[in-house]
Amino acid sequence: MTAITASVPARARDVLASEWIKLRSVRSTYLILLVAAVAAVGVGYLVTHSDATHWASMSASARAAFDPVADSFAGLGIAQLAFGALGVLAISSEFTTGLIRTTFAAAPRRRAVIAAKAAVAGVISLLAGELIAFATFFTGQWALSAQHLDVTLAHPGALRGVLAAGFYLAVMTWVGLGLGAVIRHTAGAITAMVGVVFLLPTIVGALPVPWNVRIGKYTVNLAAQQTIAQHPHAGYFSAGPSFLIVAAYAAVAIAAAAFVITRRDA
Amino acid sequence: MIEVHELTKRYGHAVAVDGLSFTVHPGRVTGFLGPNGAGKSTTMRVILGLDAPTAGWATVGGRPYQRLVRPLHQAGALLDAGAVPGGRTARDHLLAIAASNGIGARRVAEVLGLAGLDSVAGKRVRGFSLGMKQRLGIAAALLGDPPVLMFDEPVNGLDPEGVHWIRGLFKSLAAEGRTIFVSSHLMSEMALTAEHLIVIGRGRLVADAPIEEVVRQGSRNDILVRSPAGGALAGLLSQRGGAVTAETDGGLAVTGLDAAEIGDLAREHGIALHELTPRHASLEEAFMELTKDSVDYHADLPADTRKAA
Repeated sequence: MTAITASVPARARDVLASEWIKLRSVRSTYLILLVAAVAAVGVGYLVTHSDATHWASMSASARAAFDPVADSFAGLGIAQLAFGALGVLAISSEFTTGLIRTTFAAAPRRRAVIAAKAAVAGVISLLAGELIAFATFFTGQWALSAQHLDVTLAHPGALRGVLAAGFYLAVMTWVGLGLGAVIRHTAGAITAMVGVVFLLPTIVGALPVPWNVRIGKYTVNLAAQQTIAQHPHAGYFSAGPSFLIVAAYAAVAIAAAAFVITRRDA
Repeated sequence: MIEVHELTKRYGHAVAVDGLSFTVHPGRVTGFLGPNGAGKSTTMRVILGLDAPTAGWATVGGRPYQRLVRPLHQAGALLDAGAVPGGRTARDHLLAIAASNGIGARRVAEVLGLAGLDSVAGKRVRGFSLGMKQRLGIAAALLGDPPVLMFDEPVNGLDPEGVHWIRGLFKSLAAEGRTIFVSSHLMSEMALTAEHLIVIGRGRLVADAPIEEVVRQGSRNDILVRSPAGGALAGLLSQRGGAVTAETDGGLAVTGLDAAEIGDLAREHGIALHELTPRHASLEEAFMELTKDSVDYHADLPADTRKAA
């Protein structure tokens, strides 16, 4: 019952520790990462295996467009949703159950809580994302090696593409966290997530030329594709600027979360 | 100590709390009583800095809650026992809350014991009964060993043994000099736990007084008299200084005289009495009397629903 003073670093450590316990103590975290890993590695294997099987009958233009790195990441579309869900759940589950009130009563500095969630979920997602990315790459190259189509990490652009794929998954967690904080509802936030990563590129892709590319290069997953692909597609940004666009999505999502979190009643 | 000053909270056009002021003092259990929708939960959320007041302010230990560093050491609260993560174990749930205030695993084990949850500490909260969730919420409130504790409807869903436990816990916490603030919509529950009452209705203060005083203010004790010669008896009772009100069913509600005086008076005049019943308003009736003008929704009941107690 005595007043306790704590320095700012200690308080940051407090919320980080709390969020780490929350993330590691629910099964959904492990389940989501497992689904992401199986989807990324599995689909990547199927696509690269198909490449190797059909290589002999492929046209010259198809062979020229063949990208051994990008093809091994064909399963990223499903993995990105799983990581998005991880980010969404990190905060929406607290709003849905009402636990957010306990959280904010224990830590009234709400932006510190958002920052801690972003740091903990982000670091775990980055580690898991990179792990999945490397596993996906090596599995894909193993499948391609049947036709000697495989590349190594030493191949120009290959390591950059693998690292970018892992980073993209972490960005999806941050985007999910931002959407979860703004929408406060699991199903709603995941729907919005699907909108951002699937619906938006589909709609943009249907726009008349050249608007499909002019706008499309700013969408998060088309930008991410340029960071992973060996050669950027015509009209799109190169890997460097595309990487900044992908990172900007994470920054905007977390900033939005920080903005709304102090402006609404819990 | 909790202070609430001229607190107003509006949600759109709806006024949940309307210029509410009160102080909750340490060393006793203070009941926070009001019909459903009176603004109790809103007031508690504002005290905890969860909802921003439209006007006015609230402090805990003299400071706005949001300014507290490691606030669980200053105040603990149970707002909604159902607000727990189903997928986490009881221990992990408490460890996460504790960590945010620099509280370690040893204290978590202590409060699990205090709440009688030792045996289920490693079980996921999803399978808990409401009563077990209430205990878990109380354990969470106690983590920081705080001088101020707030509980919103804590006995809901508890079995009789749990209710008994919680009453004893509140009293012992108050006896240690802590400020205990407990909301309820049930006067009968408050009567068994609280020494002091803050009663609100439609977001306004209705009463802020020791519980006995609230009961006295809110009730009019009388004696029901029935007699075949009711008219004559009414006149005699009035002459003797009693106040007589005729009830719809022919009975007489008498105040100012006790049952013995009424009985003797009737005997002196040879008047037969068919009923002579002292009636005391129950706590529940005192409460309803207090808040009758301020309930949002109430059923239309027959004019006289008071029962002899």
